[in-house]
Amino acid sequence: MNPVVMELTVRGLLGRRRSLLLVVLPLLLLGLAALTRWASEGSINASSGLIGNFGMGTLLPLMCLLIGTGVIGPEIDDGSIVYLLAKPVPRRSILLAKLAVALATTVIFAVLPIVASTAIAGDEDLRLSSAYGLAALLAGFAYTTIFVALSVLTRNAVIVGLLYALLWESVLGGYVPGVRNVSVRQWALAPAEEMLGFRASGWGVSSAVTMPVGLSLLAVVVIGATWWGIAKLKTLRLAAAD
Amino acid sequence: MSAPTPPPAGPPAVPPAPGTGSPERRADVIHDIGFRHYAGERFGRGWIVRSLLVDTVRGVFGIGRPARTKVMPWVLVGILLLPPAIIALSVLLTGGNELPMSYTEFLGQFQLPLTLFVAGAAPYAVSRDLRHGVMPLYLSRPMVRTDYVLARLGGLVIALFAVMALPQTLLMVGALLAELPVGDQLVGWAGGLLASALLALLLGVVGLAIAAFTPRRGLGVAAIVTILLVVTGVSFALSGIALDQGADELAVLGGAIDPYRLVDGLAVWILGVDSTIPEFAVTQAWQGGLFALTYIAAIAAFGGLLMLRYRKAARL
Amino acid sequence: MPPDTPPTSAAAATLPDVTSPTTAPAGVPAPSGPSIVTSRVTKTFGHVTALSDLSVEMPTGVVGLVGANGAGKSTLIKILLGLLPPTSGSARILGLDAATDGLAIRQVVGYMPESDCLPPDVSATEFVVHLARMSGLPSAAARERAADTLRHVGLYEERYRPIGGYSTGMKQRVKLAQALVHDPRLVLLDEPTNGLDPAGRDDMLELIRRIGHEFGISVLVTSHLLGELERIADHVVVIEGGVLQRSTSTAEATALSGVVLVEVTERADEVVARLRAAGAQVETADDGGGLFSVALTDEEVTGAIQATVADLGVGLIRMQRRRHHLTELFREVAR
Repeated sequence: MNPVVMELTVRGLLGRRRSLLLVVLPLLLLGLAALTRWASEGSINASSGLIGNFGMGTLLPLMCLLIGTGVIGPEIDDGSIVYLLAKPVPRRSILLAKLAVALATTVIFAVLPIVASTAIAGDEDLRLSSAYGLAALLAGFAYTTIFVALSVLTRNAVIVGLLYALLWESVLGGYVPGVRNVSVRQWALAPAEEMLGFRASGWGVSSAVTMPVGLSLLAVVVIGATWWGIAKLKTLRLAAAD
Repeated sequence: MSAPTPPPAGPPAVPPAPGTGSPERRADVIHDIGFRHYAGERFGRGWIVRSLLVDTVRGVFGIGRPARTKVMPWVLVGILLLPPAIIALSVLLTGGNELPMSYTEFLGQFQLPLTLFVAGAAPYAVSRDLRHGVMPLYLSRPMVRTDYVLARLGGLVIALFAVMALPQTLLMVGALLAELPVGDQLVGWAGGLLASALLALLLGVVGLAIAAFTPRRGLGVAAIVTILLVVTGVSFALSGIALDQGADELAVLGGAIDPYRLVDGLAVWILGVDSTIPEFAVTQAWQGGLFALTYIAAIAAFGGLLMLRYRKAARL
Repeated sequence: MPPDTPPTSAAAATLPDVTSPTTAPAGVPAPSGPSIVTSRVTKTFGHVTALSDLSVEMPTGVVGLVGANGAGKSTLIKILLGLLPPTSGSARILGLDAATDGLAIRQVVGYMPESDCLPPDVSATEFVVHLARMSGLPSAAARERAADTLRHVGLYEERYRPIGGYSTGMKQRVKLAQALVHDPRLVLLDEPTNGLDPAGRDDMLELIRRIGHEFGISVLVTSHLLGELERIADHVVVIEGGVLQRSTSTAEATALSGVVLVEVTERADEVVARLRAAGAQVETADDGGGLFSVALTDEEVTGAIQATVADLGVGLIRMQRRRHHLTELFREVAR
């Protein structure tokens, strides 16, 4: 992990128009949470509905997409990654440094706002907030790692990532039973469900898999995606055409 | 003694056709083989704008471009054509006398493929030229800045309209084959086309405005999808909250910020069709009026943003 | 009486065009007088003055526009293309008013930008055909002229490959091709030799010269390299800080100067002293070498030099009449 690379990545990520969306979206969620609280007088079910569907289902994957593709995608796109690759820094360090920045950004701009929004929208002793916080943390890690690896793999990372996040996780995940077992969102909700214990079903937090399965599959995906990303970075070929 | 008359002064000797005189073929030598001037027709702005518009439509669908650019748009078109085919077949086989899904409902139910289509098409239309700095080459031609923007916008809107109208037409043809009442179907179909036109224009303007703000194609795609999805999510959340509070009429207004619900609401109000989401159906005239105003304001606002962006960005 | 020889030999020597080279596109007055006339053009952006009171007449043929970055060249070009209205003053291009006839101007003018402006994923042919159509040419004519123009600028098999894989020289040629494809009467070339190797530079300069003199197309060339302009430009305009410094024909600026450069093998100071005593104006370089210059006030100066040298018995390496160089224009300006 290379601190210079991390610094460069931070500056690159937060200095672009991308960062505008990264700030606006969590604010939107917080606003909605406040509105939900006012409207439903802090009902936990309303809060869970908002965070579970909009927060975990739409906002989190999209933000992870923006962040994950933003740490390395633009550099590969315009070819300036060459400068980094030509330095005597192991490819492993480069990718891990960028991944670290991406994960930290996800935590700050996505996970923490989700925790805060849950608390604002309606909670009991911060139980729901911690549950969703845990789920968001695990899912965020997985999504971000997947999207960073995807950015190294293909120039169309955004489109593929969108298809995955939207079609696979949201739409198909809602209709096709088998898909739910292979969904990051379900894996991440498993520990949350476990954490809430008997309250989980009442509050609308449920997962299609058990906690051990969920955690292990998450670990497999995170480690696998990281390893694959590093391997691909070692043999990166820069194409001139779009 | 008669001198041989000189041959009549006919046309001067014709030069050898370019390329056949076997000049040296060093790759970096520039040959002078006679510059021919052009005294033919030159078309005006109107033709140029139409030409660029057609180019944009063709490019959105990947015609005249490498094969991999055809995948996304045609896959989405296929996805959109499947349900009407299935519905038509099912009506044919089960012998019902009514379509399970109306023409305008179709647009609301298949938001996602439409969103993905505009998210892919809008950046193609504008981001490439901005990214590679091609604007000076357009601006130094006999066209005005707004010509370029309108041509690109028109191309995108027409492409979107085609993507929406084709499935609806397929649905109509299927319905007619299933011997459903002709009059009803034609009226419904025409209404569907009107809704498609409204939606195509709105999505086109919004998508283009967002895409024009970043020269990066990837970010443009992500931004359009994110914004459209988030806006839908927020509108449902707001409507849900209003419904909980018992303010049913206000709940309908939540749809004003979502392009799909906005156009759906307009269709309900103008055409009297069923709303895609019955709980949020437009029932009052003032709601309809507000929707209409919002639509016009949105077109003006995003259109203005687009023009502003080009005034700033398209400097030589 | 011998029969008149038919004029075929003379005709064969020229390369006749299918259409007359001076046929102007309809609606534009035939070339006469200067191609560009600016009259007290001023352009301010807020409190930044890009151009100040610029009045210049540029004749047909090849005109060089010289100026450092930020001197106002790009602003001037935008104004000439009718894209930017001047804050005050007026400009006429080929008889058309820049402020009101922008569209008509852009129909008969071609522009080759300095910056990168080529998309990497289309071929040169596709791109130039597209831009030809954007200039109003019908599709068939566009394809034909694109093929012609690309051949003229020297792109053969490469023209079917995507532009992304081109070298800098090839990209410059594509840019030039798109400026010529719609048969303009005037082309504005912004740093056309940027990034070209010496052979490519020579080729480009030769093509520009031919465009200006044989194709019947006026040229306005921007450049930093005065040596180039000396070779191809008929007229030179120097701008600095938005203000016109000089506008002169190249012939004038590079005329034989009234100075003789003298170099002797040894005892240069004695020679100089003697010449000064004889009343000649001598300038020496301070490096103590045997080189000095003598003003040619009259015909006898060269005789005096030869006499002095012979008298002292030193060797005369050279006695050379110097030409002016365009760089002197800048030295004057900098003073």
